[in-house]
Amino acid sequence: MEEKRKKIEYDALVVGAGIAGGETALNLANNGYKVLLVERDHSIGGKMILLSKVFPTLDCAACITTPKVSEIARHPNITVFTESEVTSIVKKTESLFIAQITKNPRFVHVEDCTACQLCEQACPVNVRDEYQFGLVGRKAAYIPFSIANPKAAVIDLEQCTLCGACERACPTHCIDFTMETDYFELQTKTVVLATGFRLFDPLKIPRFGYGKYKNVVTSMQMEREIAPTRPYHTILRPGDGKIPDRIAYVLCAGSRDDSVGNPICSQVCCMYSMKQAQLLMGALPMADITIYYIDIRSFGKGFEEFYQQAKDMGVSFVKGKIGKISEKENGNLMLRYEDIQEGKLKEAEHDMVVLSVGMLSNPSVNQIFEGEMLQLDALNFIQQSDLLGSPAKTSIDGVFVAGTASGPMDIPDSILSAGSASSEAISYLIQH
Amino acid sequence: MKKKLGVYICHCGGNISDYVDVEKVRQAIEHEEGVVLAKTTMFACSDSNQKEMVDDIHQYQLDGVIVASCSPKLHLVTFRNVTETAGLNKYTYVHANIREQASWAHSDDKEGATEKAIRLVKAAISKSSYAEALYPNKFEARKTIAVIGAGIAGMKAALSIAEKNTAVVLIEKENSIGGHVAEWGSLFMSNEKGYELVNRIHNNLLQHENISILTGTEVISSKGNIGNFTLTLQKKSKSIDNTKETMEINVGSVVVATGFDHYIPQEGEFSYLHNRNIISLPDFKKLIDKSTEKTLIYNGKEIHDIAYIYCVGSRQTDGDNKYCSRFCCTSTIHTAIEAKKKFKRIHNFHLHRGIRTYGKQELLYDEALQNGDIFIQFYDDFPPEVSSIGKKTSLKVKDLLSSDKELLLDVDLVVLVTGMVPRMDQSVGQLFKLPKGRDKFYNEIHMKLRPVETVIDGITLAGTCQGPKNISESVNSALSAATKSYSYISKGLVETEPIIAKINADACVWCGECLNACPFEAIEQKEVHGKKIATVNKSVCKGCGMCAPVCLPNAIDLIGYSDKEIFSMIDALAE
Amino acid sequence: MISSLKKNAKILVFSTEKISDPAIDMAGLLKLHYPPTVYTITVPCSSGIKPSWIMHAFEKGFDGVFIAADGTDCVFGESCTEKTGKVVSMTHEKMKQNDLDPARLRMAALCSVCSDAFIRQVRSLNEYLIKTRYSEK
Repeated sequence: MEEKRKKIEYDALVVGAGIAGGETALNLANNGYKVLLVERDHSIGGKMILLSKVFPTLDCAACITTPKVSEIARHPNITVFTESEVTSIVKKTESLFIAQITKNPRFVHVEDCTACQLCEQACPVNVRDEYQFGLVGRKAAYIPFSIANPKAAVIDLEQCTLCGACERACPTHCIDFTMETDYFELQTKTVVLATGFRLFDPLKIPRFGYGKYKNVVTSMQMEREIAPTRPYHTILRPGDGKIPDRIAYVLCAGSRDDSVGNPICSQVCCMYSMKQAQLLMGALPMADITIYYIDIRSFGKGFEEFYQQAKDMGVSFVKGKIGKISEKENGNLMLRYEDIQEGKLKEAEHDMVVLSVGMLSNPSVNQIFEGEMLQLDALNFIQQSDLLGSPAKTSIDGVFVAGTASGPMDIPDSILSAGSASSEAISYLIQH
Repeated sequence: MKKKLGVYICHCGGNISDYVDVEKVRQAIEHEEGVVLAKTTMFACSDSNQKEMVDDIHQYQLDGVIVASCSPKLHLVTFRNVTETAGLNKYTYVHANIREQASWAHSDDKEGATEKAIRLVKAAISKSSYAEALYPNKFEARKTIAVIGAGIAGMKAALSIAEKNTAVVLIEKENSIGGHVAEWGSLFMSNEKGYELVNRIHNNLLQHENISILTGTEVISSKGNIGNFTLTLQKKSKSIDNTKETMEINVGSVVVATGFDHYIPQEGEFSYLHNRNIISLPDFKKLIDKSTEKTLIYNGKEIHDIAYIYCVGSRQTDGDNKYCSRFCCTSTIHTAIEAKKKFKRIHNFHLHRGIRTYGKQELLYDEALQNGDIFIQFYDDFPPEVSSIGKKTSLKVKDLLSSDKELLLDVDLVVLVTGMVPRMDQSVGQLFKLPKGRDKFYNEIHMKLRPVETVIDGITLAGTCQGPKNISESVNSALSAATKSYSYISKGLVETEPIIAKINADACVWCGECLNACPFEAIEQKEVHGKKIATVNKSVCKGCGMCAPVCLPNAIDLIGYSDKEIFSMIDALAE
Repeated sequence: MISSLKKNAKILVFSTEKISDPAIDMAGLLKLHYPPTVYTITVPCSSGIKPSWIMHAFEKGFDGVFIAADGTDCVFGESCTEKTGKVVSMTHEKMKQNDLDPARLRMAALCSVCSDAFIRQVRSLNEYLIKTRYSEK
């Protein structure tokens, strides 16, 4: 049966509602353009809304993201589609793009949901919570996280047993298992891709023991432990719940590493690691934190001063790559490394290890262009066709890129990149 | 005035509640006069709390709202808009800063921090009882934007504005445009040369009729406000009649894109100027770009062994420049690679403090290593020693990478890798009173929330005048600044805060003191009901308040800072 | 024996919205600690502070008042420095008339990143006030 497509029209399509996509949408909307903001996930805010605090000022990430998210959600010129994907984009003329959008069913009528959480309590199914990066579980009927937007429940149909407990518990009867996928055909005049990045999966480096040793975690998992909307009431190691006091950071996990296919530097890991280290020293005053690094890249405004601050706080910096991590019976980890300064091979015992994983390209949007193809670079990031003259331009005229979709960058750079992309998009709209 | 106030005390996700007992603050103020609603909230700025505030305003019929949270620099506008959404006048909103000025500042004294927070909220409540409905001044905005500085950032900003069908005046002090980039040959991360890039953008600029490019011209004075700045421009060189031509332009907003200066090593710094074989990075780059022979020659000598000493003038341990200049590691490695490509038998020795080829630039570091370049890392406080022996220059350095072995190198040329410093010519910053950051570059309001705006309404920052950046980063910042400046004036109307001086006509005895005190000529003498009194010109008054203390009969108050309001705040704090 | 109940002086700071207030915020951001009995009222420009406000503060029990002036950074122009100075001298007159120690009022120009200077100023004023008003006779 042929799906019926609803036809819609907007001045601009922004793909991805993280900080870069959000900022782009706001800039366009504030200048009077109607924007459709499409987000694959159940909430807008991207990765930034899940962070604890941001470097180098240690502002809380939520404090900065939530008002932006709020502004986006209530802006009269922005329409947000969550749990939606752009499945194809075709450029018809200089001022016409046709996009096919699939809006997956949430099985909850968002307008009626009060986020009371009664469905969560009633649901019998427990699965790993992807918003807490697997640290804790969530139910199959759940609210993604406390500062999600829209703040409404979702039914994870793949895990759902269709027992109906949530439906019965819902006081506003907003759970609806008959909701169907919606299909849209969009006519728009310009497209901005802000699809973000993927985190490196450390399972690709077996010698670090991730996935095997419970007390080896990724930086994003540690970020969640520190964040105010954290899964536990304190910082603890997943293996046995002990509060750690000798934490190690392994920098460049999956970056500057040809052996896993990522030779470039991810730009943010040095900074976020020393940020987490400072926050940990605040939360666990007795803890020792050691950062094992190759080079510390603290190049931005205020970054060098932040690095000095971390050193002054007592964070240890050891220059040396980690060769191998092995586990002791009590769950502690032995790190084998070359101490460059002393020119010796050493072993150090830590009770928790954080792998500072890098930013990789997000392949989701790359295949969707039909006709004129979107060019990618050698690492599958979106190619910037005029890197120095117009960093937001892609190989297709009228299609722009914002944020980490084009390469690793931190939050201030993502925001300026979004400013640049929206500027080009506005010029494009005016000129065509 | 009987008020119905709603007070929201924010946890700020722990940033406040970790040190200030927010529940205690709530209890301490919930029975203050006028307070009908007192709540604590995890994130006051979150969407759900904003919605709750709007609902509360309707449900409890509040006529004033106070949020005690982070610095007003972050969310004053956010919360004012919430009250406006709910139908209140946004100037009745009062903010209390209990984060930067309580919880964070006194994280060593939780009791003291809580006490202070209580008083700050009480002071806000007192002020709120006097807060009146105010209406912003609206006036027409000039639909022209001035861009000061025609380097890569200024040029791209001008182009971006012109593409939005807005007139732009691009002002450049030098006789040619293109700034530093125009002087450069090969650029990293690109196959284009610097002057080629500049020419390309220049050609784009020439296609737009609404761009005026004024070279050899400086801005010597500025008057006015956002929406209407009057800039006086002057030609740098004298005309035939021995005067300097001046002209005035009226613009709605200004983009400052004045760029950077290269750090110049001090005499004797690594033997600079004492030894003919010591050269700075920009001079070395010029040498590499311009030399056409197969062998590199400098000062009549063949150059084969080159040493690069990194971080000269940046990341200083003693010295003012504590920051990293961001672009130099990549630029140096790229130039070293170019040197090896162009000339015979070049050997590169990089003496560094940690190579910062961040992002995709890492591939250049890879390439240099493949080329056989030698990398030596020295300690921050143990810089290499430079001495000369005959024609060669000798360097002594302790190499961290080979566990502190002391290495001796004899090279033909030493390149001091110098970074960016703020322009020595600070005239534009002084003209507009642009504040500077700790690194002495111009300061933005907030790196994440407002990265291109300054505290001076209507002035935005583009490029390296805000801090070291490479070309891509400068262009991103320039386009962001251009769009921001454009958004100020694109609707044709500008709103300014209604904080202006108010003169009590009955009390005024016309002594003229206020007129003397006002730096903006906003006070005029008028005759009202037969009495000569002072009046305030609303569209000129900037709300500084300088007239208020000098008025002998105390007839002047600044709106929002009246005696009543200030006294009530002092009373609340002194309690 | 050192008394562990060292009382801090109550100090009122007038800071300016665009210049000294960011510095005071930054002092908090950098966790540079100062006594929690230091309270700030923000005004647009230090030259607009009325002597009557300062006198009222002393009347209501503040030990000291510190004006964190704009100095030459003032967004309203160069005359700020002179005018702020005049405000101080006018206030000193009134303080003398009321037998108040003029050293209880201080003024210093603070740039927008001068957090260290702010800390030094309020700490030293605090020390002075404790010594002259709260130490055992």
